[in-house]
Amino acid sequence: MNALKRDLTTIEVIKGALIYAAEEMGIALKKSAYSPNIKERMDHSCAIFDSGRRLIAQAEHIPVHLGSMTFAVREGLRYRGDLEEGDMLLFNDPYISGTHLPDLTLVAPVFYKSDIVGYVANKAHHTDIGGKTPGSIAGDSTELYQEGLIIPPVKFVKEGEIDEELSNFIKVNVRTPEVQMGDLRAQIAANNLGIARLIELIENYGLETVQDAMNAVMDYSERRVRAELEKMPEGTYTASDFLEDTGNEENPVEIKVEIAIKEGNIIFDYEGTSKQVNGPVNAPLGVTIAGIYFTLVSVTDPNIPINDGCFRPIILNIPKRCLLNPERPAPVAGGNVETSQRNVDVLLKAFSQIIPERIPAAGQGTMNNVSLGGLREDGTPWTFYETIGGGSGGRPGSDGVDGVHVNMTNTMNTPIEAIEAYYPIRFESYSLRPDSGGAGEWRGGCGIVRSWTLLSPTATVSILAERNKIRPWGLNGGSPGAAGEYMLRRADGSMVKLPSKCTLRVYKGETLLIHTPGGGGYGSPLKRRPEYVLKDVKNGFVTIGSAERVYGVVINPLTMELNLEETERLRSKMRGD
Amino acid sequence: MIRIGIDVGGTFTDLVAFDESIGKYFNLKIPSVPRDPSDGVLKALKTFLESNNDKPVRMIVHATTIGTNALFGQIDLELKKTAFITTRGFRDLLEIGRQRRAEVYNLFFKRPPQLVERRHRYEVEERIDHMGRVLTPLNLKELDEILEDIQKEGVVSVAIGFLNSYANQKHEIEASGRVANRFEKFYVSASSNISNEYREYERFSTAIVNAVLMPIIDSYLSRLCSSLKEIGLEAPLFVMQSNGGLATAEVASRKPSSIVESGPAAGVIASAWLGGLIGEESIISFDMGGTTAKAGTICKLKPEIVSDYEVAGKVHMGRLVKGSGYPVRLPFIDLAECSAGGGTIASVDEAGVLKVGPLSAGAYPGPACYGHGNTQPTITDANLILGRLNQRVLLGGKMQIFPDYSRLAFESLGEKLSVSVEDAAESVIRIANSMMAKILRIVSVERGFDPRRFTLIVFGGAGPMHACALAEELRIKKIVIPPNPGMFSALGLLASDFFHDFVKGIMKTVDELEIDLIENSFLKMEEEGRMTLSSEGIEPDRMRFLRMIDLRYLGQSYELTVDAQKPFSSDALDSAIADFHSKHRDVYGYSMKSEKVEIVSIRVRAIGEIPKPLLRKKLTKRRTQKKEERRVFFEGLESWVETPIYERGQLTTGCEINGPAIVEQYDSTSVIYPDWSAVIDAYDNIILKR
Repeated sequence: MNALKRDLTTIEVIKGALIYAAEEMGIALKKSAYSPNIKERMDHSCAIFDSGRRLIAQAEHIPVHLGSMTFAVREGLRYRGDLEEGDMLLFNDPYISGTHLPDLTLVAPVFYKSDIVGYVANKAHHTDIGGKTPGSIAGDSTELYQEGLIIPPVKFVKEGEIDEELSNFIKVNVRTPEVQMGDLRAQIAANNLGIARLIELIENYGLETVQDAMNAVMDYSERRVRAELEKMPEGTYTASDFLEDTGNEENPVEIKVEIAIKEGNIIFDYEGTSKQVNGPVNAPLGVTIAGIYFTLVSVTDPNIPINDGCFRPIILNIPKRCLLNPERPAPVAGGNVETSQRNVDVLLKAFSQIIPERIPAAGQGTMNNVSLGGLREDGTPWTFYETIGGGSGGRPGSDGVDGVHVNMTNTMNTPIEAIEAYYPIRFESYSLRPDSGGAGEWRGGCGIVRSWTLLSPTATVSILAERNKIRPWGLNGGSPGAAGEYMLRRADGSMVKLPSKCTLRVYKGETLLIHTPGGGGYGSPLKRRPEYVLKDVKNGFVTIGSAERVYGVVINPLTMELNLEETERLRSKMRGD
Repeated sequence: MIRIGIDVGGTFTDLVAFDESIGKYFNLKIPSVPRDPSDGVLKALKTFLESNNDKPVRMIVHATTIGTNALFGQIDLELKKTAFITTRGFRDLLEIGRQRRAEVYNLFFKRPPQLVERRHRYEVEERIDHMGRVLTPLNLKELDEILEDIQKEGVVSVAIGFLNSYANQKHEIEASGRVANRFEKFYVSASSNISNEYREYERFSTAIVNAVLMPIIDSYLSRLCSSLKEIGLEAPLFVMQSNGGLATAEVASRKPSSIVESGPAAGVIASAWLGGLIGEESIISFDMGGTTAKAGTICKLKPEIVSDYEVAGKVHMGRLVKGSGYPVRLPFIDLAECSAGGGTIASVDEAGVLKVGPLSAGAYPGPACYGHGNTQPTITDANLILGRLNQRVLLGGKMQIFPDYSRLAFESLGEKLSVSVEDAAESVIRIANSMMAKILRIVSVERGFDPRRFTLIVFGGAGPMHACALAEELRIKKIVIPPNPGMFSALGLLASDFFHDFVKGIMKTVDELEIDLIENSFLKMEEEGRMTLSSEGIEPDRMRFLRMIDLRYLGQSYELTVDAQKPFSSDALDSAIADFHSKHRDVYGYSMKSEKVEIVSIRVRAIGEIPKPLLRKKLTKRRTQKKEERRVFFEGLESWVETPIYERGQLTTGCEINGPAIVEQYDSTSVIYPDWSAVIDAYDNIILKR
């Protein structure tokens, strides 16, 4: 038996075991966490690193953590590297951890025979970390200090025990200390499991073989990504898009990127992007990198194992003090949720020039963050937070998906029956918005209509959203998707239009109507097959009027049959033949 | 009296008959007929009856994949037009689902096709709140207009789902009555009637899956019943449900959503039954067939159950991909699955790395060695090259095989990897084993069970070849290989009871609870169970009712199920809460005694017991005689070993064999690794210990 080839199989087996160990950490964290945010929305990630602090394997459920983990481990250990066996480093400082304050990062070294052989780490979004508003995501902060407790890298766990003083210090700074401590215990358990799995592997196969496997898995991913990049035409490609306002100022904020593909490498240059702003939409560097990684994984092959190797071909230039690489003390709470979406829109727009056949038109480009809370009739407090999906962009060869979360988030909705049982609101509708999907040969996905009426005397509602003024773009001749719209219906039936970022008071009997953006269309609407238009009309995704006006498809409203002759005539006229 | 079990799989239809009077089995395996599975069933039965027509048949139990196949969009199983009626404002709730993408990084991700087109989803004015209070009465005039339209559209099955119907079924009952009165031939599924749990999306989805399957399953089962009569079989037909229990064909036709994973459940039930027989209470059940491997866990002889299943979903790395299928909120036997079966194909990817699966050569053309035209290397070919399979024939000599074709297939694989044929074959086996070890970990380690304390029961045609390697990987010390591994799943059909599960959503904290109302709800569900069981011919003294209650800490979104005592009193509630705290500690690592506890749902399982096959112990002892020797490769020894080959039929109770050794039989081959010793027990099982 050939010894070398034999090892290759062993390495394959260990590779699988390393990826599985990260997944198992994620499952342990989800299982033992307390808050629904982690248990149900799965807003957490786990990862394994080698002794050189390179990412080996990651189990993530929220793309915004992708890549920011690597950043966090590197920066956290640079800040505080003197770790002993049984220590774990806790931090959330966005300028070290790479994402907003509610994401708590916990890093632990893995010791084998008194040497550090690797690290395990996880990051979880906590429901509250103090600051001026419940949930610690205010739409109008001007400084980081307003957004919550800032924790630099500290030894939260020392020799296997939680540091009680630090734990008390955190507890008095947050609104729901028991929940935070419950989730932190789950984070510790996940790291302990990761440590145990890594040591088991080393005991079974030997340190050297495991290290070989770690190198092999990174090299493998690098080869796969480079092979994908080599298929792309060399050159430079630019794109830009805007956030419509900052939460505190009305002016739009630009994100601009130049992507260069050169000699198997890929360069991302953000020169020309707006300066950091006086509102919470600055994106810490980790969030920016996460957007780049998300995009790269999505446009190459999502089946490539995600690790340090994938990102070796990347060269970055993100100017300091810009929106995507701000300096302390710029506020950053909305960077994770809104700016990250726009960053990906810009990156995909640039890629649409490189690999047009693999890039969809823009999706809804927002997460529609809605938080509400107040007192019930009996005086007990309640708070509720949700994000709402919209349309995804039309794609070469298929329509966009209706009513779904796009790009940087993928959290689940809360069942209406659960919300109505817990909170004093009653839903009026949860449906798809006809005609909101951008017209195109491949239609953009429809946005969502979600509306509810307040049953308690009063409540405070905060909205943090985007794409209410600047619509999601279409591609290759496709129309943009419909803009989002937030409205309040007063008890007397009058309607008030709300801005996309605001905090307001609502009263009993008032109804909030949320219309989320549709996705952009792909290709000219005049090329859409008339049968598809008819099907959309029959199903109510497109109105019969739009079918004629936008798609040039004539349908007899009585028989609901296509008039192909008229359609051809109308389309020819619209094309200007 | 004879009992017959028939398991229709994708590749084979297996028939097991058990003669109660003499305690003996009869096994038969024939190729399935995918176009019409009932053809295969009838063929198998006719073959059996040709030689056994003198004995009366007491019952026929059937496992079928027709439900899943229909949802996967198999041709010839066209879904009939189905309509959905729901509360005004919510007809798109089904399409939005949980608003997630099943594949985060796939920009071209698609939802599974809607089972009910948007234009066939109707909204009617009505509203009930979470307390069950009627806020807006059901608008019957509107409903009638909808029904008129439904009729015009040529719809044959109707699902009804209203918001908060778990708290009050009134409107759903009224609407179903209206549908049934108006159109006699309509199929109706009301969400609170199929699975009365809170969480509207999953409840509606369950009702819709039920509604689309009703016409298909009803026509399939009634056709099958009349064909049985035609060939002279008057015995009743029963169907295996996904929860591991039986239902009559009539009940299954009304609730086809409960039989979608009928087949895979049978193997786990067989393992639990065998465990009971030989005194093993903690079991990991492992089934490796032609295209997939499946693992399940049994604790205290009870198979583990899940109720958040999605049918026709995708499986990735052993786990179901959430959002890729259609949710069905009914109890399913918990299984992890991977694409590693005898026919699974090995290949080399773009970056030069060896991959096993997910493609399979199935039973036809099958592995290269079958000589039916497949030239790609499979797991079976790898086993053949390593000497583990008979080099000339399979199926007890009925099927000739061609080792040269296996070598040919592996030569090209070896070239791509620059290794020898044997090295390539060994690599394929090791990678397949690591994939299968992972699904065993998913059902044990991930569920909080230590596999070292479990016994591995291994079956499926290919399972016993990989048993030792998997046990070593998970440090399991004991393996049981039943007498006919390839037929073992079908045996599970004869070892099951009748199960019917009922649930009612409650959603109240324990201090808001009215104990009497809960007791009444329990009694009502038990009565429903009693009626269903009587309709299936179960005598009252064979009925049992289990009460369960789903609890969670207020604000959590995951509940745990604990047993509830009868009658339901405040003492019973206290003890359920105490059990909940301790179960929470076991499963999640902590409990919070000061937190408010919420009752999410209450459940009843109605069980109708039927006598199980009784095997007789054998006491004969015979000398073990090997039939030949051949060179076999063992990866642990890193070498080829001259290994004795035994014929399973020659091994009788008390025989002992030390590994390395190979045992061949009609439907399977068992590979006994070095360091393992085998003994044949009184029921002809091979018991392997390390």
